[in-house]
Amino acid sequence: MSQLDIVGKSFPQIAAQEKATGKTKFVTDLVLPRMLYGRVLRSPYAHAKILSIDTARAAAMPGVKAVVTFQDTPKIKFGPRSEDWTIFAADKTRFYGDEVAAVAAVDADTAEEALELIRVEYEELPYVISPLDAMKSGAPLIHEDKPGNIAADFKIEAGDVDRALDDSYVVYEDHFYTNQVYQAYMEPMSTLADVDLSGRVTIWTGTQIPNMMRMTYAKALGMAPDNLRIVVPEYGGAFGAKMENNIHLVAAVLAQKSGRPVKLVNTRHEDFIAGNPRVPMHFDIKIGATQNGILTGKDVKVVGAAGARLVYSQVIVATACYRVDSLYRFKNVRARGYTVYTNTVPTACFRGFGNSQSTFVLESALDELATRLKMDPAELRIKNGMGSNETSVHGWKIGSSGLRECVTKASDAANWIQKKKDKTPFKGIGLSCCNHVSGNRPFAREFDGGSGIVRIGKDGRITVFHGESDMGQGQNTTFAQIVAERLGVTMDMVNVAQVDTDISPFGLGSFATRGTLMGGNGVLAAAKDAYEQMADIAADMLNVKPSDVQCRKGMFFHTDSPDTKISFQKVASEATIRHHGAPIVGTGFYQPPTELPDPETKKGNISPAYPFGCQIAEVEVDPDTGQVSVTNFVAAHDVGRAINPMATEGQIQGGIAQGLGWTLMENMAYENGKIINADFVDYIVPSSFDIPDITTILVEPIEPNGPYGAKGIGEPALNPTMAAITNAIYDATGVRIRELPVNPQKLLAKIQKTGKHTKR
Amino acid sequence: MNRLPIHLVVNKEDYHLFVKPNRVLLDVLREDLELTGTKEGCGLGKCGACTVLLNGRPVHACLTLALQVDGCEITTIEGIGGEKMHPLQEAFVDKGAIQCGFCTPGMINTAKALLDENANPSEEEIKQAIAGNLCRCTGYNKIVDAIHSCGCQSKKKKGGIK
Amino acid sequence: MRIRPFDFKVATSLADALNQLDQAGSNARVLAGGTDLVLNMKKKNILPSTLISLHPIKNLEYVEEKNEMIHIGALAKHADLAIHPILEKYVSILCQAVGLIGSWQVRNIGTIGGNLCNASPAADAVPPLLALDAAVVIATLQGEKTVPINSFFCGPGQTVMKPNEILKEILIKKPLKPSAGCYLKLRRRKAVDISLAGVAFQAESDPSGQRIEQVKIALGGVAPTAIRVPDAENCLVGLSIEDAFQKIPMCADKAANAAKPIDDVRATADYKRTIVNVFVQRCAQHVLTTLKNYRGQS
Repeated sequence: MSQLDIVGKSFPQIAAQEKATGKTKFVTDLVLPRMLYGRVLRSPYAHAKILSIDTARAAAMPGVKAVVTFQDTPKIKFGPRSEDWTIFAADKTRFYGDEVAAVAAVDADTAEEALELIRVEYEELPYVISPLDAMKSGAPLIHEDKPGNIAADFKIEAGDVDRALDDSYVVYEDHFYTNQVYQAYMEPMSTLADVDLSGRVTIWTGTQIPNMMRMTYAKALGMAPDNLRIVVPEYGGAFGAKMENNIHLVAAVLAQKSGRPVKLVNTRHEDFIAGNPRVPMHFDIKIGATQNGILTGKDVKVVGAAGARLVYSQVIVATACYRVDSLYRFKNVRARGYTVYTNTVPTACFRGFGNSQSTFVLESALDELATRLKMDPAELRIKNGMGSNETSVHGWKIGSSGLRECVTKASDAANWIQKKKDKTPFKGIGLSCCNHVSGNRPFAREFDGGSGIVRIGKDGRITVFHGESDMGQGQNTTFAQIVAERLGVTMDMVNVAQVDTDISPFGLGSFATRGTLMGGNGVLAAAKDAYEQMADIAADMLNVKPSDVQCRKGMFFHTDSPDTKISFQKVASEATIRHHGAPIVGTGFYQPPTELPDPETKKGNISPAYPFGCQIAEVEVDPDTGQVSVTNFVAAHDVGRAINPMATEGQIQGGIAQGLGWTLMENMAYENGKIINADFVDYIVPSSFDIPDITTILVEPIEPNGPYGAKGIGEPALNPTMAAITNAIYDATGVRIRELPVNPQKLLAKIQKTGKHTKR
Repeated sequence: MNRLPIHLVVNKEDYHLFVKPNRVLLDVLREDLELTGTKEGCGLGKCGACTVLLNGRPVHACLTLALQVDGCEITTIEGIGGEKMHPLQEAFVDKGAIQCGFCTPGMINTAKALLDENANPSEEEIKQAIAGNLCRCTGYNKIVDAIHSCGCQSKKKKGGIK
Repeated sequence: MRIRPFDFKVATSLADALNQLDQAGSNARVLAGGTDLVLNMKKKNILPSTLISLHPIKNLEYVEEKNEMIHIGALAKHADLAIHPILEKYVSILCQAVGLIGSWQVRNIGTIGGNLCNASPAADAVPPLLALDAAVVIATLQGEKTVPINSFFCGPGQTVMKPNEILKEILIKKPLKPSAGCYLKLRRRKAVDISLAGVAFQAESDPSGQRIEQVKIALGGVAPTAIRVPDAENCLVGLSIEDAFQKIPMCADKAANAAKPIDDVRATADYKRTIVNVFVQRCAQHVLTTLKNYRGQS
């Protein structure tokens, strides 16, 4: 590829100046004239029948303009992939925080007061919190049509696992648990809804999936999807959480009932108890290897808690069953995954989507195997790692793989070999790898590509329209860079439009680490189309053939005689004039070379590209308190090509910080069926002091299927972190961590049992 | 509960308002003065997104009653920099210290107060100062770098942050 | 988060505040920094009918040396106390502790008086003040009364103060002999956390630095109020510094045994007790080492 002007450079995020000066209007900053403030009344019980709801006093309160319950909705059952949701609880509530009623009032204080005037009579029911308990016979039934509380049952198998394990030199078998953690984005879930005279609903919200959400919500509201418009302002983080949630529908219903715009903002407490946290999972794993360290077979059972209704947990459990199989050259694998209803907050997507949970398990297991084989853990990864142009056990066509380079570069940077030899008590180093996808074909069946529109105005101002979502990760900047590169213009000429489903392409959204690759390829195709239209006109203006011109840094010129040139802006102006006002509009789409998996075997190439990574953590364990400090961190990630290295590094560092929090301090705690630490006092996320300096290494094998060779980084940034840290703890103490988060008291007890000398 | 008169100097401008006692400074800034740069992240003084400077010192605007700061000078993010961005804002932009941007106003306010008190803070001192500002996107590395890059090479002022 | 309506009054002096507080009835409160009080009002834990704001009062933020006493005004902010030269010189243990309260944002407006009157069993300012045998001066309409800090608290969130009294000042006797102190706090991350267990250890040696003359150990967050642990203290008093080092484990054991922590979402009682033991040992090591290093430095 010839020299790149824009792609590969660390431009500041295009919205950064507005964010730095406080000018950005986030969802929670939006106001509309005559806007009302909505609040939701939530169930105080884990499981309860609703005997009666009396809203009369609330409705009569001055300043209250609407009070709604299930009766005010179309009473349709719906869900992102299931039909176990209702906008409000109908006959019973199924988790502490479940939506029971809502009010809209002239100010936030009145709305909160009005909630206190709604009288609900409940009859408490027995509840169940753990998915293992929920599967037992006699457990309280959460959805009447789902016996055993089994929401989904997933199986996958390839090869002959039993024979592979029998033939192994070493077999490791164990049980792991990854807990429920909260995304803790800084802007709580929030929304603004308005209804026009024709009944058309507009929702402004921070969402990763404006279009997929629109489809789900249209069903819930009993309307055609095109009667629903979703607009996505700048929003304060998501990490997977901001997909479907009842607050949007509640706001819409309140807007319908009151005839006025309604803004609904979760308190932080509500966001904890009724957001969409990570799926907690129990894992049983059995894995074998030859004496040379070649992995033979793997058998996994996963039990994940769906919470009170299905958001995406069934897909996440399935993902946990088999995505990680394509990290190494497995030939024999088997997995069974149960997604189980529980009387807890519905669980959903959080960076990693099941692959983070299972990477923690697998990478811990590999560490154990390495110990038993007396082999360097890094060497074990290199021996088994998927390489470029290989196909995995499930038929995934790994195009580019920088996995081995990630391992060697991370090891070098971390001084791995030297540090591994260092037997200083309570200091340790640990390594973990990961794989991921850049898109997930079976997740949205009809298509999984991307598309774009590139509009060029009369003065050459370029506007890019896409349908994915910038949740702060820098998606818009990436798209601007791709378009600027393809058009041959400077960054300051490119703008990215707000996603508005009335205008933007039907993007599937930002999840499955698909944004850069799918959305990027989509806008790239549109930019190519726009470029060709511009090149035709430029060539005509210069009296040459279109194949003779190129554009760089905003100037069209003849390739062989660069003094024959004309600015992009002049071409744009001429184009508009020649077309009697019609702008140049380039459209295009990307069709990924993926396949829907076979329904039986699940085999099929589901993603156009697969990112890989390797992270190495150093820890110090306080042998008297059991507390763990992460003192150094190195992360090497195969990103295909970094469109924006600075932004890519930022993603890696942010992912590691979240993984560190999950490993060392984050846990949603339940007591009597309720989350009891639903605030930042007792749900601890990392502060500036908790995160060490993180050295990031970008490995760029240049992925053929990616826009300018790019894959994705969002989720791989987190996947290896947990095991890197717990493997380091193992190195430091000999204690194997099987549960997240690390419990200092339990670690301390284990350290003291092994009788190592205490440090004072 | 009647509204009471209050005089605030916000970003060097005088405001004379009538405010109910039960309103916190954060809401008065965002709603009455329409200065929406300051954010509510938790409402309980635990995330720092609402950080403003009160007579130059960072405080949680969500835990401060508006009436208790009658007569005080308040700086919000809108008052940092002017026609040109403050060097801190430039550093945050240039060094990738901003992702979603929701924590940024509070973070910059805290950083500004740090630099006003200590022109050349060490990384340790920076982390100590911003320990009450949560960021969930960046992992803090680039934020610390950005603030550090604004430190001048002059002699450290006496004091420092605890 | 709605704060229930209340009457807001402003006091221009301590005397004014006392009068207004008395008139407003027993459901009135004074407002200092507000980081605890406003928080509790948002959570509906405290619902005062009247708040009397002390924000105009500027003459209660002092730290002064008067002869052998240090006087700290109740409205002094944690951020100022944490770096105050007088405190750093004589009672650095207090600086250590208030420097660990909350975040910088909290320390810039939160007051030591507020920390004491909020009376959390885990309040960071309390164990050091107990270990320094401090006293508080309470202002009342009938005049002032001085109460030793170890009689000030009567339960979680409760002090001996009546609703119409105001905390005015904290008194600490300056250590006259070589002294050192250390405060350690158990947190769930490396910054900004409530204290899950706090240990304050203050000791004095004789002027020649050979013997330990005084040891005061106070524990926070492991009992309904912060407590002194005389049994543990007595292990070390009167010993040579060298002998005292040997007795540290026994001292720590006794301190841990005196703790009465509870299980909660933050940590188990067992773990808190374990940490008390470890922190007493670490504090003791640090303090004894410091005292030993003072030798020959009269």
